[in-house]
Amino acid sequence: MSYKCSRCKRDVELDEYGGVRCPYCGHRVLLKERAPVVKEVDVR
Amino acid sequence: MELRVLEKTDTELRIEVADEDHTFMNVLKGELLQTEGVAAATYDMNPEQSGGQTEPILSITTETGFDPLDALEEASNGVSDRMTTLYDELDAGFAGAA
Amino acid sequence: MADDFDVEVISRDEDGRSARFLVRGLTPAMANGIRRAVVADVPTLSIDTVRFVENSSVMFDEMVALRLGLVPLTTPLDDFELGDTVTLALDVEGPATAYSGDLETSDSLVRPADENIPIIELKQGQRLEFEADAVLDTGKDHAKHQGGVAVGYRHLQRVEVLGDRDGFDEEEPHILRGVIETDEGELVHTEEFGADLTNRYPGKELAVTDVPDAFVFHVETDGSMDVDELVLRAVDSLRDRADELATKVAV
Repeated sequence: MSYKCSRCKRDVELDEYGGVRCPYCGHRVLLKERAPVVKEVDVR
Repeated sequence: MELRVLEKTDTELRIEVADEDHTFMNVLKGELLQTEGVAAATYDMNPEQSGGQTEPILSITTETGFDPLDALEEASNGVSDRMTTLYDELDAGFAGAA
Repeated sequence: MADDFDVEVISRDEDGRSARFLVRGLTPAMANGIRRAVVADVPTLSIDTVRFVENSSVMFDEMVALRLGLVPLTTPLDDFELGDTVTLALDVEGPATAYSGDLETSDSLVRPADENIPIIELKQGQRLEFEADAVLDTGKDHAKHQGGVAVGYRHLQRVEVLGDRDGFDEEEPHILRGVIETDEGELVHTEEFGADLTNRYPGKELAVTDVPDAFVFHVETDGSMDVDELVLRAVDSLRDRADELATKVAV
């Protein structure tokens, strides 16, 4: 899962063991990035 | 437009007209009532709130000596003819105004 | 009832987007059939699937998609069949507002009917990029495919002057909406005299009656096609159905 640290704005990869924390600055607020795939939406 | 005859006697017809709604059925009913030999004509969009039946059912009763299927054919042709004349009238009307 | 119809166009916008016309010789069933066919049975193109490449705007993909579906597209009905698709694309980067006019089309005949419909406002760093498929379908399937947006009819009303009003009666407003037929056979929309008959006929005793079988239609389109075409296609769709029924019954 790719996240972005809300303080230092760096990309963060989270793994099972590291807990929710930025490995660069230690900030605990991470933002989830939109997946870089084309998303198809039905207009209904 | 799928047709399914539900009941047919010499003077009575009950027929399901699939995929139609008030738009066409009401026009058709109106035309049937003006067709020669037709004693009664009506349609029901949701008979008896019957589970799942949502296609309109057209019922025609004719006077003796008239076949309801013939009446239906005559009425459909009648609607078609009227719409053709109306189309031409509208076309001419709009052309004059444009 | 004879087959003699009589059509008179009362007013028609220069851009062909709205018109008011009188049809004589219609039954109420036919008038309503035409109205319903204009709204639900004449197909128009409308965006139906959107493939988002990037959407960093403040709105969800689904919300942007819904707004796109409601953008009217010009529809040359001669060249398309029900279910046919046209691809459109958009790529706008903030700070800017993405407008319907920013949509690029793969078919020059199919483009947004209006260029100034805002889709979304993008701030610095936000970007919207997608590819969309417009499909031809009817208003019965989804309201975004409705070609007619304000479609209705009223009876034509005849206003007869019976004589002078009793001089001691207090004059009260006589409000009437729609189109009237005067004694001289003139067709006048009541808006022209403030919808109040006392403005046009001061001090007169009047009789107002509905003219049988005469209907004044008011049709407004979303820009997909001209009013003329919209109405003609509606009549055509009724005729097609009658023809289909006739051939099926004859077998």
